[in-house]
Amino acid sequence: MSHASSRPMASEPAASGATPALELDHITKRFGGLPAVDDLSFSVHPGETLGVIGPNGAGKSTVIGLVGGAIAPTRGAIRFQGRDITRMTPHQRAQLGIARTFQIAQPFAGLDVHENVIVGALFGGRLRTRSEAARVADEVLERTGLRAKARLKGDELTVADRKRLEMARALALRPRLLLLDEVMAGLTPYEVEQAVRLIRDINQSGVTVVVVEHIMKAIQGVSDRVLVIHFGKRIAEGTPQQVLSDPKVIEAYLGERYARERQAQAQPQANEGDAERAARGEGDI
Amino acid sequence: MARAAPTEERTIVSASAPDTREWRWSFGIGLGILALIALVPLLGSQTALSLWTFIAMYIVLAQSWNFIGGYTGYPAFGNVAFFGIGAYTIALILQRGIPYLLGLGLAVAIAAVFALIVGLPVLRLRGHYFAIATLGVAEALGEFAASKDIGGPSGEIFLNPPPINYRISNVLFFYAFLGLALVTLLITVWLTRSRMGYALVAIRENELAAEALGIPTYWYKVSAFVLSAAPTALAGGLFAYWQLAFEASGEGGAFDVNISVTMILMAFLGGAGTILGPMLGAIIIEYLDQYTSIAFPAFHGPLLGALIVLVTIFLPQGLIRLVRELMRSPAGVKLSYTTRFKQGVRRVTRFIASNGV
Repeated sequence: MSHASSRPMASEPAASGATPALELDHITKRFGGLPAVDDLSFSVHPGETLGVIGPNGAGKSTVIGLVGGAIAPTRGAIRFQGRDITRMTPHQRAQLGIARTFQIAQPFAGLDVHENVIVGALFGGRLRTRSEAARVADEVLERTGLRAKARLKGDELTVADRKRLEMARALALRPRLLLLDEVMAGLTPYEVEQAVRLIRDINQSGVTVVVVEHIMKAIQGVSDRVLVIHFGKRIAEGTPQQVLSDPKVIEAYLGERYARERQAQAQPQANEGDAERAARGEGDI
Repeated sequence: MARAAPTEERTIVSASAPDTREWRWSFGIGLGILALIALVPLLGSQTALSLWTFIAMYIVLAQSWNFIGGYTGYPAFGNVAFFGIGAYTIALILQRGIPYLLGLGLAVAIAAVFALIVGLPVLRLRGHYFAIATLGVAEALGEFAASKDIGGPSGEIFLNPPPINYRISNVLFFYAFLGLALVTLLITVWLTRSRMGYALVAIRENELAAEALGIPTYWYKVSAFVLSAAPTALAGGLFAYWQLAFEASGEGGAFDVNISVTMILMAFLGGAGTILGPMLGAIIIEYLDQYTSIAFPAFHGPLLGALIVLVTIFLPQGLIRLVRELMRSPAGVKLSYTTRFKQGVRRVTRFIASNGV
């Protein structure tokens, strides 16, 4: 936690003038008239971990798809380290250093875990030879706890291991920006803890991270800043604590009535309660 | 590389991983089979020579199809188009008195450019749509050759034989096909070890993930299609000057859809996406085909159909993978060959049972 609290917790992009690692500029994506992402703008600072949360269907995965290049925006521009990447193909973005995972794991089913990772190292990681790629793959498997499963085939893995493999392959790209799409969904509390530690570790090695999750609990341990989207729009942004106590966020997740009740309850000692929660660094959504 | 770095102690997979040994075995066996086939002319039988020339030709076709259909996983149903292009290029070249070898080069170039032009739109399609599109292109080319009266009134070609004794020329064509089979085997082995091979297999296993990991999937698919076209066209060019007379489409035609179907069936019987599979499939099917056409003429017709059904039901992964599955030992456990075999049999029965039989 220490490194996270030492970071500036600005709710708006830092006015330092430094080029953001990632910048979405008025991005809209419509799927047949229905906007999945609606005029959304945000930026991620170099070295930051940005959490993106929202209820089901909020457009979280679409955001990952837009940044990764699998989905083309209807309108707007995406910049990576100041460079316009809106028209680039997914593989070009991967070679620039943008790695992504898939919400529904997409392993190379017939290849074993080691080979799955080698492919990432060879192409996105831009290594020339198989032996170099194999060495990177070994390191990555060690780091993600898949070492013992190196010889299993992609379709022989459990859900948790498939998620690990998604992370491992993305890491093999030696990315500058890592996009994680619900890598913690469906994991046990212990596995979530492991994943959180891994993401922090990756972030500390200098990688900018965007973590998309449905569950707030998973994200607050890793995020410097959290962006909440609902129906493709930003409804809140700030530190995990700020966002957690935002009535709009509670409403989006739990419905209007619950939000009213909760607010009524919290009203008497609202200030103390918030401060206390912020100090403890936890929330209960 | 000189000294082992501390991290290398923890290396999970050594340089001699199982798959590394496997390609050596496959390559060695493949070379051995080709070497044995090379002895056929010593038998002195024109029938045997003709049979094995056809087998060598189909080894080339099945191995070439394997690049796009096996490794990349794109079910190309129109590879006969490249074969026909090769055959007709040679026909037109020879009728104009241009040297044969120059014609072969031209045939390869035309087929490669054609594969590029057709591949660019067609490789944006997937699965059935890709299969139907390639089939359509091949059929259209055959119809074009027939309707434009290239050669005779409906595309028939008659060529003057090479200016040498037919026995010698038959042996030469046999070795030409066999040499080409060797070249395609070498390309296959190179492919399994190369960056491109990794890219193609990744595309086959999961194209979405392949693209996200930095593989320019579209260009690799187009390359695989062109790589598949070139040797196929060369085989067509050899076929034309060897057979001297052929038609556009229909039975025995250079654009006959049966040639496409046969090369696919061969690759599948042996194992699509393996080094040895297409070669084994080509030998078995072409041998059976020729044998039954003489021994059981009535049975010969339905044979191909029956084989397609049997292979898709029982052996969708091919003979090579069946053997591999039989002998596979669970990761990290050392077992005797008998135990492994027994376990393998159980796995394979389960495998077939799960396939709906």
